[in-house]
Amino acid sequence: MRFLWAAARKDLSRVRRDPLSLATSLGIPLVLVILITLVFGGGQAAPQGRLLVADEDGTVLSQLLTGAFTRDPLSKMFLMETAPREEGRRRMDRGDASALLIIPKGFQDAVLQNHPAQLQLVTNPSQSILPNIAEQTISVMVEGGFYLQRLAAIPLRSVVTGRQPSDAAIAQASIAFSQIGRSVAKYLDPPLIKLDLNVIAEKPENQNVAAVFLPAMLFMGLLFVANSYALDIWKEQSWGTLRRLATTPASLGAVLGGRLISLTLILSGVALVGVGGMRWLANVAVASVSLTVIWLILSGMAFYLVLVAITVHASGQRSANVIGNLIVFPLALLGGSFFPFEMMPDWMAKIGRFTPNGWAITIFKALIGGSAHTRDLLIGAGWMAVAGSLLFLIAVRRMRRFL
Amino acid sequence: MLEVEQLRKSYGELIAVESVSFAAQPGEIFGLLGPNGAGKTTTIGCICGLLTPSAGRVKVMGHDVVRDGQAARANLGVVPQEIALYEDLSANENLAYWGGAQRMRNPKLRERIQEVLELTGLQDRAREPVKQFSGGMKRRLNFACSILHSPKVLLLDEPTVGVDPQSRVRLLDLVRAEARAGTCVLYTTHYMEEAEAMCNRLAIMDHGKVIAAGTLTELRSMLAERDLLRLTGVFAPQAARAAMQRIDSVEILQGDESLLLLSLAGASQKLPAIFAALAATGAEVRGTTLTQPSLESLFIKLTGKELRE
Repeated sequence: MRFLWAAARKDLSRVRRDPLSLATSLGIPLVLVILITLVFGGGQAAPQGRLLVADEDGTVLSQLLTGAFTRDPLSKMFLMETAPREEGRRRMDRGDASALLIIPKGFQDAVLQNHPAQLQLVTNPSQSILPNIAEQTISVMVEGGFYLQRLAAIPLRSVVTGRQPSDAAIAQASIAFSQIGRSVAKYLDPPLIKLDLNVIAEKPENQNVAAVFLPAMLFMGLLFVANSYALDIWKEQSWGTLRRLATTPASLGAVLGGRLISLTLILSGVALVGVGGMRWLANVAVASVSLTVIWLILSGMAFYLVLVAITVHASGQRSANVIGNLIVFPLALLGGSFFPFEMMPDWMAKIGRFTPNGWAITIFKALIGGSAHTRDLLIGAGWMAVAGSLLFLIAVRRMRRFL
Repeated sequence: MLEVEQLRKSYGELIAVESVSFAAQPGEIFGLLGPNGAGKTTTIGCICGLLTPSAGRVKVMGHDVVRDGQAARANLGVVPQEIALYEDLSANENLAYWGGAQRMRNPKLRERIQEVLELTGLQDRAREPVKQFSGGMKRRLNFACSILHSPKVLLLDEPTVGVDPQSRVRLLDLVRAEARAGTCVLYTTHYMEEAEAMCNRLAIMDHGKVIAAGTLTELRSMLAERDLLRLTGVFAPQAARAAMQRIDSVEILQGDESLLLLSLAGASQKLPAIFAALAATGAEVRGTTLTQPSLESLFIKLTGKELRE
């Protein structure tokens, strides 16, 4: 038992003397999460493009047309600015916006009088997606306007003439809209669907990019740390220290036990910083910091035992490295530790949840969201203890062979 | 004390060690001498519990290494052939770890670390990472880690391989000091002069067997004061053998196209006759080495080959 602490102290001293491999294991996911957060705008879906509007008509209808760009989801894609036609042209020439929409004077009257009207949309050729979205949106609006004009041109005309309508005109228009509504009800009313709503976990209001990616990156970090720690046993094998240890009264099981203790301490630091960063830096609502930290530590230990039990069966240090990487990278990609499950196709996410890290990350997210509790953690920990003990025995048995 | 009785270790058809028996007493340096592949390291492996003997028995201070392995290993100190240390840790940290493996506790462990650091002359570098040490210093620390728990039996597996002469002398002094302190030392080497200088008793091994054993005097007497003559050049092996057989008391140990090894008494008187006989066969002698009776000549006499082959 005393040797366990000596072994753990030795491993911690080695990490302290050479922190580079641990830093690399944690640095890669950290850099990834920072880059992804920056690419996707730090969690705030800020407008990515600019739409210039030269509204020369200035009527109710022209405002209705551009109103679509001031509401979600288009308002998150476009920052709408009004600009006179000439200035808009100049700015488009400079590539200052994604598109310029010119609504000519007399647009509303033309629509209501069923006369031809022309909107102009100037798009930025250096962009592809946003100008296309603007064009599609305006097409839909124009099409909608066409049908509205067909159905309700007369009552609309009485409302938007610019003059104060009489009470009788308003009443007449209301009756007309009501009749139109009834006549198209069978096309517009949705079919009757009985909906059972079962809320498993409330989506936190402050869900942002970091909230989606941080758990994945944390688990990627755990996988990398576990892999690096598992492969370290091969360094000991090549140094002859394991062989030497076998000539002492200490057991190889104690060596592996010491490694688990030191790994637990390292993972505790990683988990505290990771969950703390999620909670206080990325503003992710964490239902229970302590449970999520404990789960991260347990998960990291389980990953280590899986990897060490497999890699000790390699024929040498180099093949152990290859095997370790062949396990870790597909697991990270498939098990929601690189691309979150939310971004995966359903079939892939279903498979991914059956991987060890996919299972662990699912419970981790439930612990964050508050839909999993101590009981779930204890059941998970129980499974890990059973599997971990088995893997521990397999690893020690194999280590005796490669002395 | 260390007792090895009829030790056998085989790997399927391959027999690595066969019928090896010897006993080493406290305060004695017992040498295992033999070329690479003779079975020395396998014998050491069986003694320290790294390998399980196929047959026979090994006891360390009365504890059977198979049945009572932990107790046997608690009395053993093993200095491995390779430097088995954590190079990114300091000497202090390495010693603390290996002391822990031997179940030592503070404050005794701390005291003993200081003692062995002073003994090996590493006290001023105790806090530096081992990777900054010279090869000789690493060897000394490798040794220090093995004697930290004051073992009753110390096994050294070719500890001076690749060591510079100065460090070698210092290391050998440390081994002698351990023996003087009452430790039973088993020393394996393939350096004849080292074995002659260090060991009270020796066992010479070849092809997994002990081919001769005894004190240095006993082993030398097996040569009957015969010198070893080593001739190099160009020879006709059959003709050279026939020519040598005609000279009185000359024994051919080894002979081929480029080397002739002869065991003979009174070599200085016989040299002219040997050269004349070889010249008559058309041989061309290019080099001559005459060696007084030694372990090396004994080894060649026993095995028909040189130790470093």
